[in-house]
Amino acid sequence: MTSPASLVQGVRLEELWKKIAGILASDESLPARIAEAAVLATGAQEAALYLRERDAWTRSGPKLAGAVEAGEIPDPLPGSAFVREGDLWVPLETEGELHGLLRLLGVPGEPLESGALLAFLFGSLVGAHRLARMVRDAEFELKARLLELESLYDLGLSLGGQLDLSSLADEVLFRSISLTDAGRGTLVLMEDSGAVLLERSVGAEILAGRDAAAWKLPEGGFIHNATGAVDMGGASLPCDKMLAVEISVSGRRLGVLAVADKESRDSRVLDFTPTDARLLSLFANQAAAAIETARLHKEALEKERIERELELAATIQRQILPRDLPSVPGISIAARNVPTRQVGGDYFDVFPLSGGRLAFLVADVSGKGIPAALLVSTVHAAVHLQIDEARTISDLVQRIDRHLQRYAVTRKFLTAFFGLLEPETGVLRYVSAGHNPALLRRAGGGIEQLGATGVPLGMFPNAAWREETRPMAKGDLLCVYSDGITEALDASDEEFGVPRLSRLLDAGSPEEICRRVFDEVASFAADVPQYDDQTLLLLRRT
Amino acid sequence: MSETCKVSSERRGDVAILWTDGYINNQGGEEIAKEAYSRLEEGARALVMNLEKTRIVNSIGISILIEVLEKVMDRKGVLAFCGLTPTIDKTFRIMGLAQYAEIYPTQEDALRGVEAKTA
Repeated sequence: MTSPASLVQGVRLEELWKKIAGILASDESLPARIAEAAVLATGAQEAALYLRERDAWTRSGPKLAGAVEAGEIPDPLPGSAFVREGDLWVPLETEGELHGLLRLLGVPGEPLESGALLAFLFGSLVGAHRLARMVRDAEFELKARLLELESLYDLGLSLGGQLDLSSLADEVLFRSISLTDAGRGTLVLMEDSGAVLLERSVGAEILAGRDAAAWKLPEGGFIHNATGAVDMGGASLPCDKMLAVEISVSGRRLGVLAVADKESRDSRVLDFTPTDARLLSLFANQAAAAIETARLHKEALEKERIERELELAATIQRQILPRDLPSVPGISIAARNVPTRQVGGDYFDVFPLSGGRLAFLVADVSGKGIPAALLVSTVHAAVHLQIDEARTISDLVQRIDRHLQRYAVTRKFLTAFFGLLEPETGVLRYVSAGHNPALLRRAGGGIEQLGATGVPLGMFPNAAWREETRPMAKGDLLCVYSDGITEALDASDEEFGVPRLSRLLDAGSPEEICRRVFDEVASFAADVPQYDDQTLLLLRRT
Repeated sequence: MSETCKVSSERRGDVAILWTDGYINNQGGEEIAKEAYSRLEEGARALVMNLEKTRIVNSIGISILIEVLEKVMDRKGVLAFCGLTPTIDKTFRIMGLAQYAEIYPTQEDALRGVEAKTA
């Protein structure tokens, strides 16, 4: 028979169990529920449950949840329940492995007896909870590793099609920070010269004020987990915990990728690990290949843009050169210009003037390409503006020089031969501004070289040019050319030269001579590429 | 110093919308959790997190979001995300967040989705 006292106690125990079961089934976190149930089971005023999460303690309880302070947990821990400063401490363990600690404040009666009951009631429960968390953590870690692999794969795919360096840098930097749990990161891309091409940062810059080009990073990355500046290759590294890897292709450094302040769940700054370094190196390798592709693409675009500009400039220049040569009684004319690049630096022009006179010029601008074309265009404008105003050839040259000094946008100069021929009298007036000697082939034989009568145009302010005259008899031939003709080179670096050109002037009409000269120059140079424009102007008094 | 994540929220009936701006790391995750728990305490049954101004999430941020998700599920509520970059979208799917939380392209889609679930 059951005694009335034990019956009453049995009813109370059943009620207690129901209440404990109710608490354990509530929405609160399990640690908080266990602490609350412990209060109910012992009649304590308050309770807290301490759990070891990875390498740190956490505290849970209906009223006591919060950060664990240093020295709060007794050290060393006894193996069974104990009382310290009035609080009951109960180690919760299964098969000798500690899972947690219950701390009860204000336990009535004999606290150590309650301790044994609590250890029995909750030891296995906390053990199972810890095991579940360990499984969950392991699963999380596994997923994190899978994410790393997927990210490497995705990065390869997305970078393969990414030709914009800026987006590419963001993609690499964001993934690097994310997968290493870094608090911040910086990516610097450099030119071959070491100058910074692009810099991206999340959070405060890691490489601010440091010359990344001067860094000597070991292969596989540089891990800096100690505090305090480190001097490496003459560059002072920051004091934070950081990890840096080189972005390089075939031994050529393209940039540096750095991450810092590896985070933990409890707000500590963790050390970077060799696994982090390996992961970041893999990212850097993928980035290097993509950056190189993007750079080559950018270069190709730039080249294409320049070629388009040159083509446009060449079109403009072709329009500057006279499309048809004028027909002037008493003078037979032939001329041709062959640029060696899309846009050349040679220019020639002929102007029929009043009284049957003919003005003409051949000019050779220093340099090639767009700047030379701009100067040619300026000279062309100046000549056409001044030709009707100028009193003499030397006056025309003076006016053009002043125009160039005032308006030319590039600091270049040009040599030029200006001439004025009166077909009726056969008087040739000319100015040679540093130009190579024109050849005056006499009908009766012999050649006179008409040398420079002043310095090149655009070279010195207030320069002066002497005007010379020569009589031209009927049948005399004037040959004005640019140095691209006489300085054309053959395979043995020999120049075509003035003598060869002179010999070609012996017979034929200006048109025939012109054709012959260009044929001979082409045949002489054979397949040797020429770097200077070739211009020839021939005038015969008929 | 790392990039600071700012979190704001607004209550629309049973739903609370949270907007994040910045890196969801430990600090960002804690800010989100604080805001989310406060809205749940007020009685919100569904949370919509708009991450369109977030470009980076790390594993600590994700573990905090999982804790928030567990809390929402304990209360039989609904959690939805929207405005994810393709990288964050994939990260959430791999890390298991998408298993119990809904992912929508836009905030409007998310609001329609959670309203249908909580109706």
